[in-house]
Amino acid sequence: MTSERILVTGADGYIGGMVCDRLLANTDAQLLLWVRSNDAEEFARKQAQLEQKYAAQRARIEIHTGNLYGDAPFATVNPQQVDRIVHAAAVTAFNVKEDVANAVNRDGTRKMLAFARQCPQLRRFCYVSTAYAAGLVQGDIKEQPLPAAGPFANHYERSKCEAEAILQNEYGDLPWHIYRVATVLAHNDAGDVTQYNVFHNTMRLLFYGLISMLPGTEETPIYLVTGEFVADAIAELSVKAVPERQFFHVCHRREESLPIGRLVDICFEVFGNDEGFRKRRILRPLFTDFESFELLAEGLSGLSGQVVSQAVESIRPFAPQMFVTKQFHNDQLRGSIDRYRAPDPETLVRNTVQYLVNTKWGREV
Amino acid sequence: MKDIYLNFPAFRLGSQRRTLAEAEAANGLFSAASALEDAGFGTHHVCPEGESAYDLARGALDDMLTTYPETRDLLPKIDLILYVTCLPLNGNNGDVHQFESSRDVKHLMDFPASRLQADFGMDNAYVMGINQQACTGMLGSIRVASAMLQAEPDMQHILCITADRFPQGAAYEQAYNLISDGGAACIVSREARGYRFLGAHHITNGAMATANDEETAGFYFSYSHRMITELCRKAGITPADVQWIVPQNTNRKAWRILSSVLRFDFQRILMPTIGTAGHCISGDNIINLKTVQSEGQIQPGDKILLPMAGFGLNWSCILLEKVAD
Repeated sequence: MTSERILVTGADGYIGGMVCDRLLANTDAQLLLWVRSNDAEEFARKQAQLEQKYAAQRARIEIHTGNLYGDAPFATVNPQQVDRIVHAAAVTAFNVKEDVANAVNRDGTRKMLAFARQCPQLRRFCYVSTAYAAGLVQGDIKEQPLPAAGPFANHYERSKCEAEAILQNEYGDLPWHIYRVATVLAHNDAGDVTQYNVFHNTMRLLFYGLISMLPGTEETPIYLVTGEFVADAIAELSVKAVPERQFFHVCHRREESLPIGRLVDICFEVFGNDEGFRKRRILRPLFTDFESFELLAEGLSGLSGQVVSQAVESIRPFAPQMFVTKQFHNDQLRGSIDRYRAPDPETLVRNTVQYLVNTKWGREV
Repeated sequence: MKDIYLNFPAFRLGSQRRTLAEAEAANGLFSAASALEDAGFGTHHVCPEGESAYDLARGALDDMLTTYPETRDLLPKIDLILYVTCLPLNGNNGDVHQFESSRDVKHLMDFPASRLQADFGMDNAYVMGINQQACTGMLGSIRVASAMLQAEPDMQHILCITADRFPQGAAYEQAYNLISDGGAACIVSREARGYRFLGAHHITNGAMATANDEETAGFYFSYSHRMITELCRKAGITPADVQWIVPQNTNRKAWRILSSVLRFDFQRILMPTIGTAGHCISGDNIINLKTVQSEGQIQPGDKILLPMAGFGLNWSCILLEKVAD
C-alpha cells in the first residue's frame, strides 16, 4: 500500500511547521511542504532551511512554493497525488491590514479550496482557523457554524470567519474539518516561548513600566494554549478516522482558563521576583474602558515615543476582545483526540512569564 | 488641627513669548511643533539672556502685590519664605564662572531667598529651600507650610515661591510638554481667606529618577491615579466629591484619559493657560488657579485638586476648598 500524501501550507510557519514534524514522526505519509515566497531567492532560502530541518526524512518531503496573491499558487503541486490538505498558511497578526487579510486569509483560502476540489483522492481538508473567528460574540461558542458575521475586533478575525463561511457555503461537499485555535501563549507546558505575539509584547510593556493602562475588564476569560497542544491536536485529527465536516475548538474550557485580571496578577507576582522590577516599583496597570484606551492609543503620538506607540498599536486591534466574555466549548475536540489534557493555567502563565523575564523576551535565549 | 489657608496666587512668565513654530525654528523642541499643538500647547515664554530665575521670582511677587494690594501690608509679616526651584542650579544667584576663577564657593551660595527677603522687606522672615522635588516642589512647599503652621503656633504667614528658567541653549520640551520659564507664588496662612487646605499627598519613586521620556509617560497614568485616589481616601472623600481639578499644563489627551479613568468630568479639569503658558515647571497649578479664580469659575465650598507630576520621579497633589472671602 502506498503511503498517503499530505499537502501542508505554511509549512515553514509556527503551527504548520510543528504539524509537519508530527506527521513525519507519527505517520508514514509523504509531505508536500508548501511555503510562500515572492521570488526564487526567497524560495531557495526557505527550501534550504526545510531540507536542513528534515534532512533525516528527506525522501519523504517535497517542497513547493507559491504566493497566495497569485492566480495559481499551487500550480507546482499535482492534485492527482494529494490525499489530505492542512491549510495553515495565514497572516495571523491582529493588526493585519484589511487588504492583506482579504488577499491571504480569505481569497487565499478560496484558492486553496479550488485546488482541493481538483484533488480526486482528497480524503480530508483541514482548515486552521482561529477561536476569534467568532468575533465579538458573547456567551457560548459551540463547535458549530458561527452565527451572523461580525462584529469583529480586527481584520484577522473577520477574514478567518469569512474563509470558514466560504468553505462551508461554496465547498461544503469537501471532506473538511475546521480547527479553531486559541491564542498560543507558549510552546509547551514549561512555558518556553518560540513565537512572540501581542500577549508577550504586552507583558514586556508592563515589565518595563512602559504602559500603565490596559483595555478590558478583569473578569474577561482569556483562552490560551501551547503550540504543542495545538500541533498535536491538528496532526492527530488530520489523519484520524473521525467524521468529516466537523468543527473543533483547539482550546481549553473556561474553567480551564484564567480571567485577565488574574493573569496580570500572576505576571506581577513573577515580575516581583526580579530585583530590578521590584526596585522600579511599577504599579499594576489600570483596567480602562475601551474609549479611554482608544484615547491613549490615539494620543500616543504626542505622549510617547516609538517603542510604546508601536506596542500599543499591536494591542489596539485586539482590545475590543478584552471586554467580551466568551465561553468556548470543546466537547468535539475532547471526544476525538486520544489524550486531551489542559495544563494548570496558573502554572502555564507563571512558567511562561518566568521564561520571558529570564530570557529578556527572547533576547538572551 | 487648625485650619490653614492658601491665598494670593500670582505668577510671572519669562518675558520673551514664542510660538511653537518659533520654538521649533530655534531648535527648542524634541517633538514636532504640530504634535505639541495637537496636545493643546500654543505659545510659551522664555527668559532672554540676562533675565534670571530670580527675576522671575521677583516678578511673581510684584504680580502678587499688584493683583492683591492688601499683600503690601502682609509681606512684612511673613514668617518664612519657602523658596522652591525645580532645577537646583536656579537656587543660586551667584556666577559659577566667578567661582571657577576665584575658587571661592561663596559664589555658589548666593541664595535667591535671602535676596528676596531683603528686596521685599520681609525682615521677620527666615528662609528655607526646596529643590529635590522637580515640578512638584511648589505643591511640596505648600504642604510643608501647612505643617509648619500646625507645628509652630507663633507662625502666621508663609510665602511659598518658585522660580525657574532653563539654562541658555536648553530645549524647551520635557516629557512631551512645552516648557515656559516662570515663577509663581502664594501665601499660606491662618487667615480664613482664599482656599482652605484639606490635605496633601506625595509619592516619590527614586528608582526611576533617571527615567527616560517613554518610561516617564508610561508611569504617568497609574501613579497619577494612585496619588489622587490615595489623597481623596486620606481626606475621607472620593474623586466624585471634588468639583474641579486644576492640574499642571500637560498634554490635554493625558488628562482626557486620566479623567476617564478617574470617572471625573473632563469639563471640570481646568488648565486655561496650557495654550499660552505651557508647562511652567513648578508653577502651573498656581498659574491656572489664579486664572480660573479671576474668571469666577470656582465657588465657595468647591473642592479643588491640584495635581502635579515631575522628575525624580515625583507625584504630588493638594486638596483645597474655596472659602467665601
